[in-house]
Amino acid sequence: MDHQARETVGYSFSESTASGVKQHGFYPYTDNGGSTLGITGSDFAILAGDTRSTSGYNINSRMVPKVFKIGGDDETGEGANIVLSVVGFAADGTALKERLDTVVRMYKYQHGKPMTVSACAQRLSTILYQKRFFPYYVHAILAGLDEEGKGALYSYDPVGSYEREQCRAAGAAASLIMPFLDNQVNFKNQYIPGSGEGHALAAKKAEPLPLETVKGLVRDAFTSAVERHIEVGDNLQMVIITKDGIQEVYHPLKKD
Amino acid sequence: MPGFDFSNYNRNAALHARGVPLPKATSTGTTIVGCIYDNGVVNCEKLHYIAPKIWCAGAGTAADTEFTTALISSNVELHSLSTGRDPRVITCMTMLKQHLFRYQGHIGAYLVVAGVDPTGVGLYTVHAHGSTDKLPYVTMGSGSLAAMSVFESMWQPDLNKEGAIALCAEAIKAGIFNDLGSGSNVDVCVIEKDKPTQLLRNYEKPNERGQKERNYRFPRGTTAWLNQKVISKEDMKKYVTIETLSGDDNLAAGEKMEVDV
Amino acid sequence: MDKIVAQYSRPSYQNVYSEQDQQDLTESLPPLSLKFALPPVANPSAFLRAMTDDHSNPSCPIKLAHGTTTLAFRFQGGIIVCTDSRATAGNWIASQTVKKVIPVSRLSRGEDKPTNEPTPGLLGTMAGGAADCQYWLRYLSQQCTLHEIRHKRRITVAAASKILANLTYSYKGYGLSMGTMLAGVTPQEGPALYYIDSDGTRLPGNLFCVGSGQTFAYGVLDANYRYDLTEQEALALGRRAILAAMHRDAYSGGFINLYHVKEEGWVHHGFDDMNPIFWKTKLESGEFSNVTSEL
Repeated sequence: MDHQARETVGYSFSESTASGVKQHGFYPYTDNGGSTLGITGSDFAILAGDTRSTSGYNINSRMVPKVFKIGGDDETGEGANIVLSVVGFAADGTALKERLDTVVRMYKYQHGKPMTVSACAQRLSTILYQKRFFPYYVHAILAGLDEEGKGALYSYDPVGSYEREQCRAAGAAASLIMPFLDNQVNFKNQYIPGSGEGHALAAKKAEPLPLETVKGLVRDAFTSAVERHIEVGDNLQMVIITKDGIQEVYHPLKKD
Repeated sequence: MPGFDFSNYNRNAALHARGVPLPKATSTGTTIVGCIYDNGVVNCEKLHYIAPKIWCAGAGTAADTEFTTALISSNVELHSLSTGRDPRVITCMTMLKQHLFRYQGHIGAYLVVAGVDPTGVGLYTVHAHGSTDKLPYVTMGSGSLAAMSVFESMWQPDLNKEGAIALCAEAIKAGIFNDLGSGSNVDVCVIEKDKPTQLLRNYEKPNERGQKERNYRFPRGTTAWLNQKVISKEDMKKYVTIETLSGDDNLAAGEKMEVDV
Repeated sequence: MDKIVAQYSRPSYQNVYSEQDQQDLTESLPPLSLKFALPPVANPSAFLRAMTDDHSNPSCPIKLAHGTTTLAFRFQGGIIVCTDSRATAGNWIASQTVKKVIPVSRLSRGEDKPTNEPTPGLLGTMAGGAADCQYWLRYLSQQCTLHEIRHKRRITVAAASKILANLTYSYKGYGLSMGTMLAGVTPQEGPALYYIDSDGTRLPGNLFCVGSGQTFAYGVLDANYRYDLTEQEALALGRRAILAAMHRDAYSGGFINLYHVKEEGWVHHGFDDMNPIFWKTKLESGEFSNVTSEL
């Protein structure tokens, strides 16, 4: 595999950087900035995103939601039990959301029951992979409740590789938020004080967090991201999925 | 050797040609504006001192605005000393443009020069390539378009001091909110004839930091460590002299460092 | 009653299956590539490279997740399959918890509840593009399931690996990126191991390491490999080889994922954080003495 052969090169400048395969004239993507974030608990899942849409140094809009209800009965999304967040190129994101929404609704009409989150997750993967050679420029996160009622969260790369996780941040500020989540949700790099000496010191075990704690973490993640990333701001859209349905709330963020 | 050191120029150009990105200088995503009123001039954000009654707002490469204004400030002072007269804004502007033109835009300083001198009020913009403008209201930087839109719709020739400050602050806020490169607070500098120059740092703070909801203090012992070594004061006394200070905070901290926030 | 019969029966002259249906049923492989969207440019693969190849163009807009160190080897007790769990997109660690061993068996079996019983079927590994491996190994699972239904016996590793190799060969030049190993034990072949990659290569062998950390894993594996390793020795060797790769290769890390394929099926032997394993290895066996805990 040529890809791996090149990755093993240990020095900084391999021959391939010199040539640089570049194609001009066809560039169908724009990065619309923004960030999304999802965390699950034992009986809920939260998907959140800021509502700013940018191109370059300009703000296109301060109110473009990135989190969508999938498979609802009407255009308000009423009756849905799955949510999708997309960040990256907004046009691709909208197209992807429309596709998945149609598929999930068709499934309900044809089978007379709602699609499970795990089935929807697999379907989203194949939808993304259909465009393997002309990718959707998006990072998608899918959330809902699994068959046991536990929070389920699936994250995707642009061409459809996916994984179920406890938490995931995507988009412009992913590199700022993800380490925070690793530490605060999965307790990475946290040990139990006094549990042992040296290597016997026990790592703090991750366990599902209560809803209020998670809401606080999500809001803090965004108020911090806003301070350090120019493409994040304006409003925070938070969608909370529980057995009682989907609740959507907005919080103001800094607008500079 | 005075001037710039070009010894790494060829090497870096060669690396760049091979696809290595050049190091990025800090660029000030900035909105700077200036506007004159009946007997004074106001300018806003990222301010540099040139002379007591000439100030300069800088956008572009942070280091370039800093060093260029410092250099010109020094030369203006020497010029003022040798002529025995107060420096003029137009002199300062001319020195800046001649300096920048010589470097053909490689010094990325985009400036608004404002001040009061014996000839009256002066307000200019100087671009990195050396071109200048003389206008009643000016804007520069990535937020210049947003700020100019405010001036174009609200500026009047008969502004008083308060009106001019408010208008400039409004223009800067347009940049803060609508340009992603600009943000945080508004600084204002008011230069008036026969009055000391007023520098109003953080004149407006429309973007206070959000408060955290949760507490992120870790209990002692949370971090794992491989090894520890305790160095006692007695051990250190072998190498340095140690003086114990009183518990007074101000004394212990020594001279407070000045920090731009 | 007649009415009902009429409703559900057809005249004998009418074809029960359309031509397309018949083709789908008789052809062992359905036609491919038709369903993939292509960009409207003269050279789609050059476009794809320009957009997604982060190595030749570090500022490319779409950074795909890549998988990294995987190994598998045959020994007297079956086959050991071991991987790391890191996925990188450029310099960004996209995930530390990727499952790079993908069960290729009846579609439901891979997702069933964990048991200590061996699960029948093959194992595939993931290196290169994560999406490519996930998608095509799932496709392979479908084909294997269909094979099982059609022929009333489980597919051989040779046949399964050939389906995958034919597939990657048919997409040669389109820009797929995968280096995968297929491992399984069948009555016809015994323990069998194949390497298949996106160039269309298909090789049978005793021992393979694939990914950016492959050289490090080969170093450990070649030095200690014997066909007559005991099960415990083989599991320890697989784990140790991946540990070496995770230690020296920046693109590998996270958790050690260990599997053993036996006659009855595969058994999972843990998904364990490398860090405590590394320190245990260092402190208890005196290896990695280049790493010091002294300040």
